[in-house]
Amino acid sequence: MMATTATPETLPVHDDHAHAHDDHGAPPFFQRWFMSTNHKDIGTLYLIFAIMAGVIGGAVSGIMRAELAAPGIQYLGWWTTFLGGDGANFDETLHLWNVLISAHGLIMVFFMVMPAVIGGFGNWFVPIMIGAPDMAFPRMNNISFWLTFFAFISLMTSAFMPGGTGMGAGTGWTVYAPLSTYGSPGPAVDFAIFSLHLAGAASIMGAINFITTIFNMRAPGMTLHKMPLFVWSVLVTAFLLLLALPVLAAAITMLLTDRNFGTTFFDPAGGGDPILYQHLFWFFGHPEVYIMILPGFGIISQIVSTFSRKPVFGYLGMAYAMVAIGVVGFIVWAHHMYTVGLSVNEKMYFTAATMVIAVPTGIKIFSWIATMWGGSLEFKSPMWWALGFIFLFTVGGVTGVVLANGGIDDNLHDTYYVVAHFHYVLSLGAVTALFAGWWYWFPKMFGKMHSEFLAKLQFVVFFIGVNTLFFPMHFLGMQGMPRRYPDYTPAFELWNKVATDGYMIMSVSIAIFFVNVFWSLAAGKKAAPNYWGEGATTLEWTLTSPPPFHQFETLPVIDDKATGGH
Amino acid sequence: MGIRRTVQYFAGAATALAVLPQAALAAVATTEAPVAEATAAVAEAATGGYVPMKPTPGKGMPVDGGIWFQDQYSPIGDYGSWMHDALLMPLITVISLFVLLLLLWVMVRYRRGKNPVPSKTSHNTLIEVIWTGVPVLILLGIAVPSIDLLAKQYETAPKEALTVKVNGYQWYWGYEYPDNGGFEVISNMLPEEEAIANGEPSHLAVDNRMVVPVGVPIRIQTMGMDVIHSFAVPSLWFKLDAVPGRLNEKVMLVKEPGVYYGQCSELCGARHGYMPIAVEALPKEQFEAWVLEQGGELKSAAPAAAAAPAATATETPAEATEGDAPAAAETTA
Amino acid sequence: MNTLSETAPQPARSNGRVALFALSIALGMLGLGYASVPLYRIFCQVTGLNGTTQRVDAAQANAVAVTDKQMSIRFDANTAPGLAWDFKPENPTETVTIGARDMATFLAKNNSDKPITGTATFNVTPTQAGVYFSKVQCFCFTEQTLQPGEEVRMPVLFYVDPAIIDDPDTSDIEQITLSYTFYESKKG
Repeated sequence: MMATTATPETLPVHDDHAHAHDDHGAPPFFQRWFMSTNHKDIGTLYLIFAIMAGVIGGAVSGIMRAELAAPGIQYLGWWTTFLGGDGANFDETLHLWNVLISAHGLIMVFFMVMPAVIGGFGNWFVPIMIGAPDMAFPRMNNISFWLTFFAFISLMTSAFMPGGTGMGAGTGWTVYAPLSTYGSPGPAVDFAIFSLHLAGAASIMGAINFITTIFNMRAPGMTLHKMPLFVWSVLVTAFLLLLALPVLAAAITMLLTDRNFGTTFFDPAGGGDPILYQHLFWFFGHPEVYIMILPGFGIISQIVSTFSRKPVFGYLGMAYAMVAIGVVGFIVWAHHMYTVGLSVNEKMYFTAATMVIAVPTGIKIFSWIATMWGGSLEFKSPMWWALGFIFLFTVGGVTGVVLANGGIDDNLHDTYYVVAHFHYVLSLGAVTALFAGWWYWFPKMFGKMHSEFLAKLQFVVFFIGVNTLFFPMHFLGMQGMPRRYPDYTPAFELWNKVATDGYMIMSVSIAIFFVNVFWSLAAGKKAAPNYWGEGATTLEWTLTSPPPFHQFETLPVIDDKATGGH
Repeated sequence: MGIRRTVQYFAGAATALAVLPQAALAAVATTEAPVAEATAAVAEAATGGYVPMKPTPGKGMPVDGGIWFQDQYSPIGDYGSWMHDALLMPLITVISLFVLLLLLWVMVRYRRGKNPVPSKTSHNTLIEVIWTGVPVLILLGIAVPSIDLLAKQYETAPKEALTVKVNGYQWYWGYEYPDNGGFEVISNMLPEEEAIANGEPSHLAVDNRMVVPVGVPIRIQTMGMDVIHSFAVPSLWFKLDAVPGRLNEKVMLVKEPGVYYGQCSELCGARHGYMPIAVEALPKEQFEAWVLEQGGELKSAAPAAAAAPAATATETPAEATEGDAPAAAETTA
Repeated sequence: MNTLSETAPQPARSNGRVALFALSIALGMLGLGYASVPLYRIFCQVTGLNGTTQRVDAAQANAVAVTDKQMSIRFDANTAPGLAWDFKPENPTETVTIGARDMATFLAKNNSDKPITGTATFNVTPTQAGVYFSKVQCFCFTEQTLQPGEEVRMPVLFYVDPAIIDDPDTSDIEQITLSYTFYESKKG
């Protein structure tokens, strides 16, 4: 099926006009970057923001891994003093640990992965791939970005506010009541909650924007069933955002009023139930993990198809597998709460429902392999990342099947096994997909070819690093090491030490990434419109690299017959 | 160390496959046998003077560089680890290797040099039905023992069960024995030097353990006194949150005497990492001696008259939160 | 700069209408988030989820057939940190006849020198027994104020619904624990 594709020859796209438009199109620097209404510029802003947030979130995990390299508390005291606290106060240093784990989770979820895949790649390529000139609501797009930015500032500010035992919000990214209500007096948690409000509002606006754009602004002939799978993935993601985030907003607003205005939604003292908060949080939180990974699925589909020179195998199955994952994602939330005292019937239901998700996920994995089967595979750097993604995501997925069993989770719940599982699907899944997408589209976005050697070297180092970092966490979890511990009994030392070594290897790969980015921007060869060759068939490859400031002033027409459609 | 454990695992998995978990459950349901053995095993616990048991290295605690579950000492742990070792682990290993092999195969077979002209195949209904249907069957295969395991975990406590109420505080545990006069044992982590001097693992050793009888079902009831905590003992396959304002209950059964360590497993504030759990399982007579030593009474003696010694034995949580001050009922070493 | 209306063909629905549709989904979910608080409470009350007990009036209690089977009931009493009360059941366990009304008594004493108003949360374990545990009268239905040093006896009038015997989820239950936690009343 060539449904997702359109070849350059068949499209009336006027690249020659691009530079002329560029001249009168791009506004001066300040307007262009601070008041931007251009989807590509906003996408670039999101990507830069996500990279910076990722560096901060990654640095936080560096402090954590350093502390965990050996039993005892080594560095937390120093960091507490450095951040303006009392490093000699043991409880305050331990509170800093909780602030670090909370910050790492919140930053990576809300300010790194989501802005990168949805705000960055979504903004950049959804309009182009459907042949639209821009997003439906360009100004709202701009507001979304700056709300995300100030949400991040609010979260950073919270680290310097009193949060109970010490400075900052030490509640975990899940912000469970009552630790987050009467357990953490002081404005830090309020600032963290406010940060989530802003980020949530930004994402809801972004979701409305994507849905409107995809429903209304497709070029003639671009039916829903011809959209590239990346666009499908963003569409499903947008609906998940729309359905999940308001529930989080309601839950954390209730936290806020419980904290400040004497309500007792989650406080047993007034008849509330702290478990209700967990239900609401995970009703959002479980779709949230699909929000992070689905656009990655879309990216991988584009890359695998491009470098196999084959259309995606089972296109409709792939699209509706994502829809199925999204739908089932809403009815499995309590598998995050197996130990809170659920009844046996609840636990049986959530065990069964959770395992169902393995089916559409399996369809995706096998369809990617089937896409490559019979293809003509070319191993450019994005393909290395995509192949790595498929394997690592499989490993993360199968440990999910283990954890889905409520009876097994009784032992593994809240241990490092869970940490290993969700880092395999997110840190090694979503982030690998991010890097795959980055090197797939980097020359398209910035007009300069990157170093294939460095991008592949980065992959190899990253692959070794993250596996060394996260695989031993399975061992630690099975041995019983709980999550969110700054310190441990010496029996856990070996694998913690290995994990910290893995972190150091992984950070080398991030250094290679930056070298490649800066080298390419400064000295990379100019990128051709379609630098990946005939396998790359979606509309972005019909445009110059970078695309003109305003693309598709004459809309492309997607001709079914000419593109060999079904 | 890791390799030795790996070998152990494969040997263990092989035997586990042969032994039905139900058999293990049945074996322990009759409680007399382990108790009798245990009496001999714990020689030093003479009548009257309770001496905290020396833990056996590697039993009920993580081992250096360990890569697998801790050895299990409860029937449900046998069942759970059997299901993981004999069913889930082989399955997920095979699936991961299968995907890896397919990936390697297409990478070699369909590389551009070998296969310059790609096929245009983008559909194959049969294969799509297979890769949807086969996972469904596999998952059904998992679901059957999984649901059974859940049902076993939720079996309610029998008549002879002993009730222990586990109270989670920031940041220590309290173990209340309502069947034995209602005294509460306050349990704090031992400092590292003391733990090592006792021959116990640091970060896991506590001053006053939760003492329970061997082979007797124990109705564990948890409650959080301030925020949510979680009472978890890996080698007994037990984890249950302690939620404020709401009682949770689950049955625990320890097969043989020993010390079993665990740790708080729900983020509860600054010293979340420093409120370990130590369960000491003793033969019934020694457990009863321990109860009497705590100022408690034996269950059979007076189930209805338990309110009488309240003055000496009960202790409100409000008092308990004042910190480490030994309560009336608490052991002083 | 070209506006969209100049370049794009008029779509069947305007952008505004699609956006409004999407926004209404978001607002609907927001509303559902808040509505979940009462819905959750009602759901627990109806199904006994989380060991939520049933509240019945005397007429309903009279209509219940008394069986010849007995069951043990355990009473558990807790006070929130900071509440200067002693609170305990008169007897930790009692044996009741299924279907018959029984009265249990809790003792509460205010140890402070100030009057304190408390409210109690409650549930039963095993949680699946909640739907069969019916209270006719309970001190937990209302707030309780204790004067300084005052000691009171607080009764609970309850029965275990005979249907518990026939439900496969609950037929093997030997003992139900009724647990209370007293908190200082927030609204007081």
